[in-house]
Amino acid sequence: MKNKKGLLLLLGVVLYSTQICASSNVSLLDGYEVSVEQDNLKKGATIYYNLCRLCHSLKYIKYQHLLDIGFSESEVNTLRQGKLMNKAIVSTSTPENAMKMFGMVPPDLSIMAKARKQGPEYIYSLMLSYVENSEGVYENQIFNGIKMPDVFSYSIAQGEQEKQAIQKDVADVASFLTWASDPHATERKSMGLGVIAYLVVLSGLMYLVMRRVWRRLE
Amino acid sequence: MKNIISWIDRRFPLTSFVKKELTEYPTPRNLSFWWNFGSLAGVVLVIQIITGVFLAMHYKADAALAFDSVEHIMRDVNYGWLIRYMHSTGATAFFAVIFLHMARTLYYGSYRSPRELMWWTGQILLLLMMATAFMGYLLPWGQMSYWGAQVITSLFGAVPFLGDELIIWLRGDFTVGDATLTRFFALHYLVPFIIMAVIMVHLVALHSVKSSNPSGINLADKDNIPFHPYFTTKDLFGLCIFLVIYSYFVFYQPNMFIEAENYIPADPLQTPVHIVPEWYFLPFYAILRSIPDLLGGVIAMTISVLIFAFMPFLDRSKIPGGAVYRPFYRALFYVFVIDVLVLGYVGAKPPEGYLVFIGYFATALYFGVFAILPFLAKKEELWLRKKGLPPELEALIQSEEKQKAERMVARRKAKRARK
Repeated sequence: MKNKKGLLLLLGVVLYSTQICASSNVSLLDGYEVSVEQDNLKKGATIYYNLCRLCHSLKYIKYQHLLDIGFSESEVNTLRQGKLMNKAIVSTSTPENAMKMFGMVPPDLSIMAKARKQGPEYIYSLMLSYVENSEGVYENQIFNGIKMPDVFSYSIAQGEQEKQAIQKDVADVASFLTWASDPHATERKSMGLGVIAYLVVLSGLMYLVMRRVWRRLE
Repeated sequence: MKNIISWIDRRFPLTSFVKKELTEYPTPRNLSFWWNFGSLAGVVLVIQIITGVFLAMHYKADAALAFDSVEHIMRDVNYGWLIRYMHSTGATAFFAVIFLHMARTLYYGSYRSPRELMWWTGQILLLLMMATAFMGYLLPWGQMSYWGAQVITSLFGAVPFLGDELIIWLRGDFTVGDATLTRFFALHYLVPFIIMAVIMVHLVALHSVKSSNPSGINLADKDNIPFHPYFTTKDLFGLCIFLVIYSYFVFYQPNMFIEAENYIPADPLQTPVHIVPEWYFLPFYAILRSIPDLLGGVIAMTISVLIFAFMPFLDRSKIPGGAVYRPFYRALFYVFVIDVLVLGYVGAKPPEGYLVFIGYFATALYFGVFAILPFLAKKEELWLRKKGLPPELEALIQSEEKQKAERMVARRKAKRARK
C-alpha cells in the first residue's frame, strides 16, 4: 500500500512539473476554446482562404483535405480554380513580392498552432491584440514590432457588436489552423478512448489473475 | 509438438533453459511493485524499436527533406501520427521507467555486493540510452533539434588541445548540417541494438546473482518462488497499468514533451531565445550551466552522470540492505531525489535572478550527497550498533564477515600453493 502511494505521488510530481514547463510567458486572452465543429472549421477555412492566404501558405494542407472538414466537392472545385486536388494550398503572393513588402516571407501557417506555446490561444490572442497608438499607427501588445497589419481591423472596430463579430471570426480561424496543424486530432482522441477503456478493463482482469495466482502461496 | 521439442532439446538446451531462466527461475517472494520497472524498460525498448523501424520506412535523413518527411508521416502515412507519437512519447516513457528503476536500486541498495556488475552494466545502458535519445532528437530537424545538437556538440570544444577538431569530427562539418543529420540517423538506428546486447549481459548477471529484494538481505531458498506464474502475472499487471498511463499521453497529450519551437523548421541563422534540452536531460543541463567555466561545467556534467557507478565504493556500510534499515541513508536518498527535481526545474528555466543561486546550491548538494556518503555510512553504522542491532541482523553481519575472511584465507592459500 505504501508503495502505491509513493508511485502516485511521483506521478503527481511529474504531471505538475510538465505543467510548469508548458505554460507560456506572454499573457493570453481568455474566453476562447478550440472548436472541432465543421461549421466553425469551414468558416475559418473560408476566412483563411480569402484573407490570410494573401500572404500565408498552408503547404501541408492540400485542397482534397478540405473535404474532411465539411466542404463539398463542388465547393472545393470553386476554391482550387483549376489547380489539382492534391496540390498544397499556397499563398497568392510570391515570396519575392513578400520580401519586397515586408522584408521577410510570412511564415507558413500549417503547423503554427503547434509551433507556439498554447498555440491556438496564442493565435487568437495575437489577432485581437492590435491597438492603435496615439499617432494612429497600429501596434501589437503581444508581438512587439510585428510586420503583419491588423487584417481584422480589430484596433479600429467600433462598438461591442463589431468587436464580437471579429472575435468570432478570429476564433474560427484559430480553430481551423488548429485542425490544420493536427488533422488527425479528433480521430486520435476517439481512438484513445477505446484503447484506454480496453486497457483499463484488461488491467482489472490482469489484477484478478494475479490475485488468484498469488493466493496459492497463502 | 513433443517430438519437435525433444528433437531441439537433443541439439539445444531449450526446455532446460526456459525452465531454469524463466518458469522455475527463483525470485524472492517479497518483491514489491518497485521491481516491475526492469521488465517494463524492456517492453518500452521493444516499442521504441518497432515504431522506430516503421518510422524509418518513411523518414528522410536529409536536411532539406527531414522536417517535411516527419509532417508527411504525421499527416499522410496511414496511422503515421500514431507511430510517431508512440515513438516520441516512448522516449519520455523510457527515461521515466529507467529513472524509477535507478531510484529503486538506490533506495533498496541493490547496487551493493554482489550486484555491482549489474549496476555498472546499467550505467553503460544509461549512457547508451542518453546518446540514442540525443541523436534521435535531431532527426525531426526542428529548431530545438538543431540548436540542441549545436549546443551539445559544441561542448566537446572544451576538451583541451583536441576540442575544435573533435567538434568537426562529431558533426562531420563545421556546423551541424546534413552530414550531422545522416550520421546521427545511422547511429540512432544502430545503438538500440547495442543496447539490446548490453541488456543480455545485464540479464545474465541478474540471473547469476538473482534479484535483490526489499529487505536488502539475501533470502534463503525457501523464500524464493518460481518466476512463473507469480511474476509473469505481476509484471503483466504492471505492464497494463503502464500502458494506460502511456496511452493517455500518446492519445491526449502527445505534444506535452515536445517543445513548441521544434515545430519550426531548423534555421541555422536564427537562434531560439531559450534553448532547452528534453526533460530527462534537465538536471544534468542545470549542473552544466551552474559551473561558470565551460570546461569545468562539462566535467561536472559528465561526472554527474558517471558518479552513480561509484556507489558500490562510496557506500561501504556493513549494515546490509538499503534505506529500510538505514535512517541516515534514507534521509540522504530523499535529499538527493528532491535535489534532482530542483535541478530539473532550474534547468528548464532561463538562468536568471535567484534561480542561478539555487542552481549553484543544488549542484553543490548533488555532489555533496555522494561525497558525504562514505562518512555518513560509517557514522550510521556506529550509531545503529550503539542503539543495538536486532540479533538476527548482527548474526547476518557476522556471517558475512566470516565468509569474507574465509574467502581471503582461501585466496592466500591458493597463492602460497602456486609458489
